[in-house]
Amino acid sequence: MIDCKMTFVSGKGGVGKSAITASLALQAARQGHRVLVIGMVESIGVAAHLATEPLAYQPRRVRSGIYALAVNRSEALDEYLRLQLRVPKAAPTRILTRALSVLAETAPGVREIVTVGKPIYEMWRDRYDLILVDAPPLGQLFSYLRAPTTISDLVPAGMVRAQAERMRTALRDADSVALVLVTTPEELPVLETQEALRRLEAEPVVRLAAVVANRVLPDLGLSAEEIEMLPDGPHRAAARHHYAAQSQQEHWLGALPTGPRFPYLFGIHTAGEVGETLADLWDGQQ
Amino acid sequence: MSTRVIVVTGAGGVGKTTLSASLAVTAARAGLRTCVITVDPAQRLADALGIEALSNHPETVAGQPRLSAAMLDVTAAWEAIVHRHAEPDVAERLLADPFFRALADRFPAAQAYAAGEQMADHIESGHWDRLVVDTPPAGGGLDFYTAPRRIQELVGGRLLRWLTGASIPGRRALYRVTARPALRLADTILGGPLLEELAEFLMDLRSLYDGLSHRAHTIDNHLRRATSIVVTTAQPTPLREARRFFEELEDTAARPGTVVFNKQLPDEWTESKNLRSPGIAPEVRAAARENLSRWASEVRLQRDMKREFAARYGLHLADVPWAKDAPTSVAALADLLMSCPELAGYVT
Repeated sequence: MIDCKMTFVSGKGGVGKSAITASLALQAARQGHRVLVIGMVESIGVAAHLATEPLAYQPRRVRSGIYALAVNRSEALDEYLRLQLRVPKAAPTRILTRALSVLAETAPGVREIVTVGKPIYEMWRDRYDLILVDAPPLGQLFSYLRAPTTISDLVPAGMVRAQAERMRTALRDADSVALVLVTTPEELPVLETQEALRRLEAEPVVRLAAVVANRVLPDLGLSAEEIEMLPDGPHRAAARHHYAAQSQQEHWLGALPTGPRFPYLFGIHTAGEVGETLADLWDGQQ
Repeated sequence: MSTRVIVVTGAGGVGKTTLSASLAVTAARAGLRTCVITVDPAQRLADALGIEALSNHPETVAGQPRLSAAMLDVTAAWEAIVHRHAEPDVAERLLADPFFRALADRFPAAQAYAAGEQMADHIESGHWDRLVVDTPPAGGGLDFYTAPRRIQELVGGRLLRWLTGASIPGRRALYRVTARPALRLADTILGGPLLEELAEFLMDLRSLYDGLSHRAHTIDNHLRRATSIVVTTAQPTPLREARRFFEELEDTAARPGTVVFNKQLPDEWTESKNLRSPGIAPEVRAAARENLSRWASEVRLQRDMKREFAARYGLHLADVPWAKDAPTSVAALADLLMSCPELAGYVT
């Protein structure tokens, strides 16, 4: 599954992308890898699934082999200016940061390139075996992954543009960077995933590694006739419910490319348990 | 008779849009002139309401003379906002400005504010007894309440003040400001006079301030009088978003009237009953038992989450049961609320 330096994990909001990101990290750490987890725009979920406190911009060791950080835009902007663009020390960085942060709120691509720049920068620094990025939800994903192109269109020349070109090339390097899309087998998440697949095909800003189907219901083991033979009561009601929900899932699973499948986790209370349980399940996947 | 407004809010994917449509259908069937503003409905729901494309103009739903539906068009709403509040030449310039388009597309409050303007327009038209507003999912629905203030800050020159250090310069002084060494350096890095263009844009944007400020105040007042219904499911992510209404909205006036738990499974699944029935094959019996025990653990989880939520905020919660299929007709939309008379009471 994990055969490159950096994997972005995205999906429609609510399908469990943070849980899958955390489970990938846990599983890689168990195999002895040194992993960095990055929460790109929202990190509460991935921190919860790693059973750790909220993340900060400075990477923190959350358990053996796993380090995690949350991208904070103003710190990322500062780092981008000093380390990526190598703005001279003597420059009035504060005013410059200010001006650029205004630009980041208004100009297309600036906010996004600063945010996506952090994981790329960490990859270039090469301090970890593997970087897992809890990327923005599908609705925003492309504005981040496309940011280097957007910036190249906006800025005719100069240091920012040169750096944007480097980032664009880095993201497209199929040996180093990949994208995992997570979905549940339900109408809206699948339709959004299909749209993302079409976009990726039209503009391959990053290599697609897999489409993960999450919360897949187990086989009921009963036919419709057998269900109807059950006496009136909760057994029959729950069987009907499962049967109906599962038939709908079958339909939407059929609309997805084959890939790893993760089961619906019944009655699990904490996010940490979800992360661990999913990590156990990676072993059986193709 | 004045318009009663019901704002339906919550995280994405919890069934807000469907529930908004159900509430509107219920009100219209009770004889009230009703309009529902939807945001990004699923195709089948749009079909059920007979709306074909984005439009801020409500269309009467076929066969439902008292019910109209509109689908929020953010771009058109912002064009109208700019034309309403800016001089004609400034409006033209703003609408053509790539900075403006980026702002309207990406600033989360921009979509929420557009929905607020639409709400105010429909209230002021005097056409409606009931107005049901489905809210954009940004910020778990919270953005809808904070957007008027945030847009005011933005247009009022927050960015311009940041850019220039402190004061808001006149147009001529702008040249001197952008000539500052730090900003010059920024332009060198960026490879063009981007900051000067940005400052020009922010000056134009600022000319909307008086009109927009007044309007934002009006929207805020409408919101205080509206009834808010927060929709969630008993899952961690939507619940986390629902909590924010109680923990982050400083203004108690916007405190939700009720929290709806959507897609709820029946409680009686947790009561262990024997599956006694002669003539059922042992493997069928075993499969049925195993299945019920799986779902019972899910129902217990749902119950624990709901209990904790209700206790923490001292709330009464409304339940909407899980439905096999998403409603695809007006009749099915009405049926959804049949089992929750208390919720129907909010619109009738």
